[in-house]
Amino acid sequence: MILKAEGLRKLYGGFCALDGVSLAVGAGEFVSIIGPNGAGKSTLINILTGVTPPSAGTVRFKDRDVSGIGPVRLARLGMARSFQLVQIFPDLSVLETLQAAVVARLGRGTRLFASLSGDREVQEGALEVAELFGLGEKRHVPARQLPQGDKKLLDVASAFALRPEIILLDEPTSGVSTADKTAIMEIMVAAAKRIGIQAIIQVEHDMDIVFGYSDRIVALHQGRILADATPAEIRADQRVVDTVIGRRARVR
Amino acid sequence: MTQHVVNVLLSGIFHASILFLVAAGLQVVFGVQKIFNLACGSFYALGAYVGVSAVGWYTGAGGPAALFVLPLALAGLAVGAVGVVVERGLLRFVYDRDETFQLLLTFAVVLMMEDAIRMTWGTSPRSTAGLYLTYGQVPILGAAVPVYNLIVIGASLAIALLIGWLLTRTAFGRIIRASADNREMAEALGVDMRRVYATVFTLGTALGTLGGALVIPATAAMSEMGIELIVEAFAVVVIGGLGSMRGAFVGALIVGVLRSIAISVYPELEMLLIYLIVIAVLVLRPRGLFGGAAA
Amino acid sequence: MTGGLVLILALLAIVVAPWVAPTYYLLLMLPFMAYAVVLLGLNLLFGYTGLVSFGHALFIGIGAYTGAFLAAHLTVRSMEVFLVAAAIAGALVAAPVAALCVRYVKIYFGMLTLAFGMVFYTFVLKFYRLTGGDEGLPFPRPALLGFPLDAMPKTDYLVGPYYYYSLAVLAVATLGMWRVVRSPFGLCLKTIRDNPAKAETLGIGVTRYRWYAFMISAVYASVGGALLGPPTGNVDPTLAYWTHSGNLVFMTLLGGFSSFFGPVLGAFVFIYLQNWVMSVVPYWRLIFGAILAVIVIFAPGGLMGLFARARPAEVARG
Repeated sequence: MILKAEGLRKLYGGFCALDGVSLAVGAGEFVSIIGPNGAGKSTLINILTGVTPPSAGTVRFKDRDVSGIGPVRLARLGMARSFQLVQIFPDLSVLETLQAAVVARLGRGTRLFASLSGDREVQEGALEVAELFGLGEKRHVPARQLPQGDKKLLDVASAFALRPEIILLDEPTSGVSTADKTAIMEIMVAAAKRIGIQAIIQVEHDMDIVFGYSDRIVALHQGRILADATPAEIRADQRVVDTVIGRRARVR
Repeated sequence: MTQHVVNVLLSGIFHASILFLVAAGLQVVFGVQKIFNLACGSFYALGAYVGVSAVGWYTGAGGPAALFVLPLALAGLAVGAVGVVVERGLLRFVYDRDETFQLLLTFAVVLMMEDAIRMTWGTSPRSTAGLYLTYGQVPILGAAVPVYNLIVIGASLAIALLIGWLLTRTAFGRIIRASADNREMAEALGVDMRRVYATVFTLGTALGTLGGALVIPATAAMSEMGIELIVEAFAVVVIGGLGSMRGAFVGALIVGVLRSIAISVYPELEMLLIYLIVIAVLVLRPRGLFGGAAA
Repeated sequence: MTGGLVLILALLAIVVAPWVAPTYYLLLMLPFMAYAVVLLGLNLLFGYTGLVSFGHALFIGIGAYTGAFLAAHLTVRSMEVFLVAAAIAGALVAAPVAALCVRYVKIYFGMLTLAFGMVFYTFVLKFYRLTGGDEGLPFPRPALLGFPLDAMPKTDYLVGPYYYYSLAVLAVATLGMWRVVRSPFGLCLKTIRDNPAKAETLGIGVTRYRWYAFMISAVYASVGGALLGPPTGNVDPTLAYWTHSGNLVFMTLLGGFSSFFGPVLGAFVFIYLQNWVMSVVPYWRLIFGAILAVIVIFAPGGLMGLFARARPAEVARG
């Protein structure tokens, strides 16, 4: 198991956002977390990525307690994430954004007088990820001038450029047109293979994406785990279909 | 001994009364418009000079000395109208910009006002000769306290209460508080933000100019008084908490009285003590004593 | 590369100026070069890290007073010692100040730096015996590279050896900063300026990098402050006053904070324009206030931004 969470609880005042959630993700797994709004998905992601400390329970990453250690140290340990709302560096180009990630991964951020353009490892590492995500042509475009779909891609790409062992994606295709969603997923899965990312956890609303790519689906409802099973089992679970997926959603 | 203590405390409270007016102007603008107005010290200086001139005309025209406070205060309030000019003419262009630019724009006003005052009134200090003790002095615990100081302290208290009433008990106050909390929401409810901003900024300016007018019977008007006072007013709002009226009140008392004590005990300490408190507050309690969560 | 050409021409003009330009204009070059060093540092914080300091005059004061203090109390007369001591003193003061300030951003960062600047101001104002109070301290003419140049007439010294000495310091400072902003470190600063939360998820420790940037910028300002000493001949508390800090931000904005050479251009234009305006009317603040207002409202990119707009092919961002 790369990531193992046990008995997570999170209280906000009197409100219990998470209540006894346990989750384990192993190498080679693609896990989707689903659930209606307010089920605790964002809280769970924020605890898993060390942003919010849990009220109770532990998160272990590579057999190390990481609950609440913060995003910086977690990134260095090998866990990356992307946000639901796209996060970019508006004035940095595609390449600069990816270079920053590579610099951080190699721990070269404190090289004050070294030449960035002369650092071949950084240059090539960034370019490689840009190509993987189909952003090679636009590598000199400032992030704020990219179309929405490319911003999303760049956000995810910069997390991939960290070459993490595990990556958590908070709605990687939100705000993207239906046509582009599959394209983004294809790129991500291919890139994960190339880069050697061992596991992906995503929060996703689009059930086509969820059922199309997941090895396992975790359904959350009112802060508890309703089901943790394979897509086929989930599809057969009437309780999950009723409460989480909804009848309107088309389930293949 | 008690005489000395009373003197120190009352002169501190007098200074605090003036500081409160300027700081209240800073707070109301910051609370609603989220702009830290460096120019509020310049408005204070402007009020002082206009006050000197107004009193000069008044006594020149033969007005009874006993009523000099009326033209002084009226002139101080009236010149607050310059706030509309600054708000409509400059600030409204940068509301959607980064706060750095807003801050720098008020700094531009500081520079302009300083020279505008020099051009109009010259560089030498101006004062209202001999009016300070018009109302005489009263003995309090053995100390002779100028009645004028007590009038200003009373006026400042009355204004504090008036502002409190205005903000909590009137429709205007509700609009102001709603705009401060959530601009979009207030706009959606049909509040005309242009008018709110113009009104609030003018109110803030008038508090500053009034403070300046009220101080000049006690001290001379000088062109640097604005940039000196702004750092004190700044200390007040940091200690009290940005945007909070109660904070302005308590902060002004702390700064006014402590400074007065420091001057009488160990003059070298004067403002140094105040800045050290400011740093301590910013480090330990950055929202200030009364600052809200969303300052 | 028109940018490079302009730079070479400008450098050439500065080098040959002492032979052709009138002394009056040459003397103004000295504060320009000192401020240019200060602003290169200030802009590492402002333009590259996104933190606007309203108290950087503090470090000009530290640098200038360090030199004057060494001269007055320890009879040191070497400019190299002054510069190194200024850098060390600046760093020593900045270490705790920066540690406190970088925990905040935006208006709180600005206010905290302003408060620290005013602490230093009131300190030098009130502790006469050490600092000379509001009179300040004399900054005697230092030896340059070990050559005591006391026999020279003052103006000859300033527009001759000291001019080139300042230019050398500015050149070294510029090259150093040029490398810093083009280093992996400089890139990390830019990520923090643009989006600190995102920078953290990449593993960039935002607070730590802000501290580094503050330290570098404080050392630059201190060195610039020491460089300002000989031409003025006297250091006084107004060096550290908050309006001086405001003017530093003004100069940076005037030239353009999103361009490497913007602040240098800003210092140049500010100083010469100020002198010209003051020779015509005594009210330079009125005119400069209006200029600042126009820049803030209509041209937030400063002069460099205007050039870049006129020549869109050249991207000025560094």
